[in-house]
Amino acid sequence: MNAQKTNHASFLSRLGDAALPLGIVVALLAIWEAAVHLLQIQPFVLPAPTEIFKELMISGPTVILPQLHVTMAETMAGYLAAIVVAAVLSVLILYSSAFRRGVLPLVVASQTIPIITMAPVLVIWFGYNSLPRIIITAIVAFFPLTIAAVTGLKSLEPHFIDFFRSLNATPAQIFFKLRLPVALPSIFGGLKVAATLAVIGATISEWVGASQGIGYLIAQDTALLNTTRVFASLTVLGIAGMALFGLVGLIERLSMPWIYARPTMAWLRAQRSPQSPAAAVARPRQ
Amino acid sequence: MDGVRLQISGLHCGYMTPDRGLVPAVEGVDLALNRNEFVSIIGPSGCGKSTLFNIIAGLLKPTSGEVALDGKEIVGRPGHVAYMMQRDLLLPWRTILDNVVLGPELAGKPMEPVRNRALALLRRFGLEGYENSYPTALSGGMRQRAALLRTIMCERSVVLLDEPFGALDALTRATMHEWLLGIQREFQQTMILITHDPDEAVYLSDRVYVATPRPMSFAGIVPITLPYDRGRDVTMTPEFADHKRQVLALLRGDKGATDALH
Repeated sequence: MNAQKTNHASFLSRLGDAALPLGIVVALLAIWEAAVHLLQIQPFVLPAPTEIFKELMISGPTVILPQLHVTMAETMAGYLAAIVVAAVLSVLILYSSAFRRGVLPLVVASQTIPIITMAPVLVIWFGYNSLPRIIITAIVAFFPLTIAAVTGLKSLEPHFIDFFRSLNATPAQIFFKLRLPVALPSIFGGLKVAATLAVIGATISEWVGASQGIGYLIAQDTALLNTTRVFASLTVLGIAGMALFGLVGLIERLSMPWIYARPTMAWLRAQRSPQSPAAAVARPRQ
Repeated sequence: MDGVRLQISGLHCGYMTPDRGLVPAVEGVDLALNRNEFVSIIGPSGCGKSTLFNIIAGLLKPTSGEVALDGKEIVGRPGHVAYMMQRDLLLPWRTILDNVVLGPELAGKPMEPVRNRALALLRRFGLEGYENSYPTALSGGMRQRAALLRTIMCERSVVLLDEPFGALDALTRATMHEWLLGIQREFQQTMILITHDPDEAVYLSDRVYVATPRPMSFAGIVPITLPYDRGRDVTMTPEFADHKRQVLALLRGDKGATDALH
C-alpha cells in the first residue's frame, strides 16, 4: 500500500519535471506565432505554428505518415545493421591487437568522408531501392556505437579481472559476466546517439536517388516552396526520432535495474514476485 | 607436520622494471599453514604482501619456490584458494544473493542448492532481507560481510584475506574482528590475513608472521597463546600487550626482542 503511494507521489513529481520544458516550448511557439502575424512573414518563408498544425491535420495521415513509414523502416534496418557491425567490430578491436592496429585507423578514416557524397555511387551499385539508403544509415550509425562499446568494454578496473581469474573464470565468463555488464551504460549511450543519427542518415539519404520517404517528400516540397508541409513533415520526423530515442531509453532502464532502481522498477519487480518484501528493494544510497 | 594445508617453501619473486632491471619483491619466503588455523602476515605497506597472495592465488608465477595445497602443487593455477581482495569488488549489477553465489556459478555448479545455502547463510552474516538489494544499498561493513560470504561460498580449503577491513572506521572494524573470529571458528576455516594493524593481527591469529620491508621475507613468527575463545576484553590484558610488544619489536627489526624462530 505504502509503495503504491510513493508511486503516485513520484508520478506527480515527474509530471512537475515535465511541466518546465513543456512550458518553454509553449512560450516559444506563442512568440513564433505572434512574430509571424506581427511581422507579416510570408508562409513560404516561415509558416505560423497554427498553419503547420492545420497542414498536419490535412496531409498528415494521407501524405506524411505513409512516407514516414518508409523512412522509419530504412532507419530501423540501418540501425539494426549498425548494431550487428558495431558488436562484431568492438569484440575484434578488444581482443585482436592486429585488428586494432591494422583496421581501426581505416574505420576512423572512413568517418572523415562525408558519407552522403557516397549516396549517388551507392545508387549506381545497388540500384533504385532502399538498400543504398539502409547502407548509408548503417555507416552513419555504426561508428559512435563502436567507439562507445569499445570504451565501455575497456573501462574495467584490473582488480575485477584479477578477482575473476582467482575464481578460475574462463575468458567467455569474463566477457559476458564482467566486461559486458560494466560496458552497458556506455553501450546504451552509443545506442542513443546512433538512434538519432540513424533517423538523420535515412532522411538525408532520401534526398538523392529516392522516389519515396519523408526525406524525398521534404526535398520535393522545398522545391515547390510548400514550406508549411516541410515544417509539418519535420514535426512528424522529430516526434518519430524522439519516440525511437525514448524506446532505447526505456530498454536501457529495464536492462540496468541496479542503476535505475526507481519506484517503477520496484513496482515491476513486485508484480513478478509478489512474496518479496518491498523493503528489500534496493534504492541507491544517498 | 600433521594437518598442514598450505606449504610455501623458498619463494622468490621479482618484477622487471625498465629503469632498474629485476627488482625483487619476495625473497625467500617459507610458510606453513595448519588446518583450521588463523595466521596473519603483518608488515609495512608495499612490502610485497599482496604479491605473495597473488602467487598463492595462482595469478602470478614466482621466479622460484613451491606452493603446495594439501600436498598438491598449485603454482600458476588459479581457483584452488578463496581470495578476498582489499576492496570488496562486489558486482554492482548483481543483487547480494547473486553476488555471493558467483564462485559456484562460475565453476558450473548446480545453482539451486547453492542459492538455498546462501540464503540460509545471509542471516548468519547479518544480511537477512538484503538478498534482493544491490550493493549500493549496503554500508561498508555490510559490503565486506557480503564479500566474505562470497569468499566462503567458494568452499576452498584455504581463505586469503588481503586487508579486508582497511577501509572501515575503527568502531565497525572492532565489531568485524569479533564477528570474523566467530565465523572462522564456526565454519572451521583456514585463513591467512594480510594486515598492517598489530592489534588486528594479535587478536585474530593463532600465529603472526612479521614481514620485513621490500623485498619481503619473514623477520620472525610470534605464536599467540591467548585463549581460543577470546572476546574483545582480551585486548585489555597484559598477555595481549606482551604479544603486541613482540610483534612491534620484530616490525622495528629488533631481532633480539623475541625468541621466535625464523
